[in-house]
Amino acid sequence: MRTRVLLILLGLALLAGLPLVATSYYLYLAELAMINVIIAVGLNLLSGNCGQISLCNASFMGIGAYCSALCTTRLGLPTLISLPASVILAALLGAALGYPARRLSGLYLALITLGFLELVGFVLEEFPDYTGGIRGLKVPRPEIFGFSLQSNRLLYFFVFVLTVGAIAVGYNIQRSRFGRAFDAVRQSPFAAQALGIPVARVKMIAFSLNAAFAGFAGGLLAGVVGFIDPPEFGILTSIQHITFIVVGGLGSIAGSVAGAMVLTALPEVLRGVQEYGELVYGFILLGTLLFLPRGLVGLVARLEALRSAKPPAKEPAYGAP
Amino acid sequence: MTWRIILQLALSGLSIGSIYALVGLALVLPFKASGIVNFAQGEIVTFGAYLALILSGLGLPYLAVVPLVLIGAAALGMVIERLLIRPIVNQPEFTLVMVTFAIGFIIKAAIRLHWQDNTFSVEAPFVGPPLALGALRLNPAYLVFILSTVAVVAALFVFFGYSRFGKAMRATALDPIAAELMGIRIGSVFSAAWALSTMLGAFVGLLLGPVIGINPEIGHLILKGLIAAVIGGFSSLGGAVAGGLLLGLLETYAGAFFGATFKNLVPFGVLILLLLLRPQGLAGASSARRA
Repeated sequence: MRTRVLLILLGLALLAGLPLVATSYYLYLAELAMINVIIAVGLNLLSGNCGQISLCNASFMGIGAYCSALCTTRLGLPTLISLPASVILAALLGAALGYPARRLSGLYLALITLGFLELVGFVLEEFPDYTGGIRGLKVPRPEIFGFSLQSNRLLYFFVFVLTVGAIAVGYNIQRSRFGRAFDAVRQSPFAAQALGIPVARVKMIAFSLNAAFAGFAGGLLAGVVGFIDPPEFGILTSIQHITFIVVGGLGSIAGSVAGAMVLTALPEVLRGVQEYGELVYGFILLGTLLFLPRGLVGLVARLEALRSAKPPAKEPAYGAP
Repeated sequence: MTWRIILQLALSGLSIGSIYALVGLALVLPFKASGIVNFAQGEIVTFGAYLALILSGLGLPYLAVVPLVLIGAAALGMVIERLLIRPIVNQPEFTLVMVTFAIGFIIKAAIRLHWQDNTFSVEAPFVGPPLALGALRLNPAYLVFILSTVAVVAALFVFFGYSRFGKAMRATALDPIAAELMGIRIGSVFSAAWALSTMLGAFVGLLLGPVIGINPEIGHLILKGLIAAVIGGFSSLGGAVAGGLLLGLLETYAGAFFGATFKNLVPFGVLILLLLLRPQGLAGASSARRA
C-alpha cells in the first residue's frame, strides 16, 4: 500500500515537473494523454465495472467538444461555463441513450450504441451551418476569468489539475455505493436485482456518468487541439478508447491511467515504423484480449504474485523456533 | 410519379437490398452456430474484393477468380474460428465483440498499409451498359446481384433442408450439447459456419468490387447487414434476407422522395426504432436477451 502511494506521488511529481524540461510538442502530447486518461476512467466505469459495451464513447466526446466549442465561439461564454455545459449536455444525452439501452445487453447493446454513433456523426456532418460540417471548427484556447491560456505551460497545468480532479472523482465513484452496484450488475444482473439493486437505473446512471466524463474530455480536447471535425469522433476513436481500458485493465482506475498513457505514447515510440501503427494497435488489442484478459494491471499483479511466491519458502513458519 | 418510376425504383431497391441480404446472411450464420456476431464481416467483404484484385492482377479471368476467392475466404474463416474464436468462446460478450472488432481492424490496417486509400477497379463480365427491359432500364450488375442472391438463398435452403451436414448444423444451432451427444462433431460445425459466412462475405466483395470500385471503406457495409439481420430477428436466415430487401427498398424510396440526407438517415432510424420497440425483429419470437 505504501509503495503504491509513493508511486502515485512520484507520478504526479514527474507530470507536474514535465513543463520544466519538455518542449511544447511533448507538452501537447502529454495533454492529449491526460485527456485520454479522463476518457478511459469514465469508460472503465461503464464497461469495466458495469460490464456494458459501448461503441459510441467517441460520440459523447464529440458532443462535449462541439458543445464547448459552440458555447465559446457562438455565445462567447468563458471556459469555466462552457466546459461544465459540455459535461451536463453529454450526461443528459448519455442518460437519453441509457434509457433504451438499459434493457438491452451484449449484441443488441453493441448495435444500438453503434447506431447512436452513426447518428451523431450524421448530425455533425449534415448541419454545417451550426457545426461547420466536414470542414471542421476552429476553437480558441481556454481562458480563466478572462485570462487566455496562451502559454503552453499554463495550458498544461490547467489540463493537469482537471485530470487529477477527474481521476479523484472516478476513484470515489468506483468506491461508492454506485461503484459497488456497477460491479454487482456486471457479475450477475439477476443476483443484483435480487439484492435490491435497481439494475435498470444503475445501468442508466453508468451510461450517464461515462458520457459526462467523455463530454468533459471532449470539451478539454477542443480547447487543447484548437480544431475539431467529425471524423475525429468516429468508430475508430471509440475502438481506441476501448483499447485503452482493455490494455490497461478492465475495472481498474490504475489500468485506465496506464492504458491511456501507454497507448497515447505508443505512436511516438513507433515513429520509425509509423505506417505500421494501426496494425500494431490492432494486434495489441487482440493480443491483450486473448492472453492478458486483465490487462497491464493483471500482468503486474501476476508478477507480484510470482515474486512474493518465492520468499515465503525461506521465511520460517509462524511459531517455528 | 408513374408506375414506371415506381417499378424502376423497386428494381434498384431490390438489387442493393440483395447485397444487404447477403451480408445479413453472413452475419446470422455464425451467430446461429455459436452465438457470436462477427463484427469483422465488413472487412471480410473488403478482403474478398482485394483478393479478387490480386488474382485478376495476375491475369486470371473473372470467372476463374470467383472460385479461388471463395476458397481463400473459406480458409480465412476457418483459421479465424479455430485460432481466435474457439479458445474464447466462453468469455464474456464484451471480449467476443472486441475480438471480432480487432480482427476487422487488423485486416483493414493491413490492406491500407499496402494499397493506401486508393480506389481500384476490376474487370467483370457483368459491368456494362444498361439493358432495356420493356419500358424499364436495368443495369446488368443489378440483375447479377438479384440473381446471385436468389441462387445463394436456394443453395442454402437445399443445404440446410436436405444435406446431412446442413441438418447437423441446424441441430447444433438448436442445442449444441444434445447435438454432440448424437455424434455430431460440433467443432466442425462451428468451422463450417464460419467458412460459409466468410465465403458469403467475400462473395459480396466479388459482386460489389467491380461495380463501386475497390477501396478499404467497403467494409462499412457491415452496418447495413447488421440492420438487415436485426429486422429479421438475428437468428433467422430467411428473416435476414427479407430484412435486407426491405432495407434496400426503404432506402431507395426514401432517397427518391425525400433526398439523399434522409436516405442516409433511414438505416439508423430503422435500427434504433427496431431495437427500442421490437428487438426480437419484425417477425421473430422474443429472443433478445433482456436484463
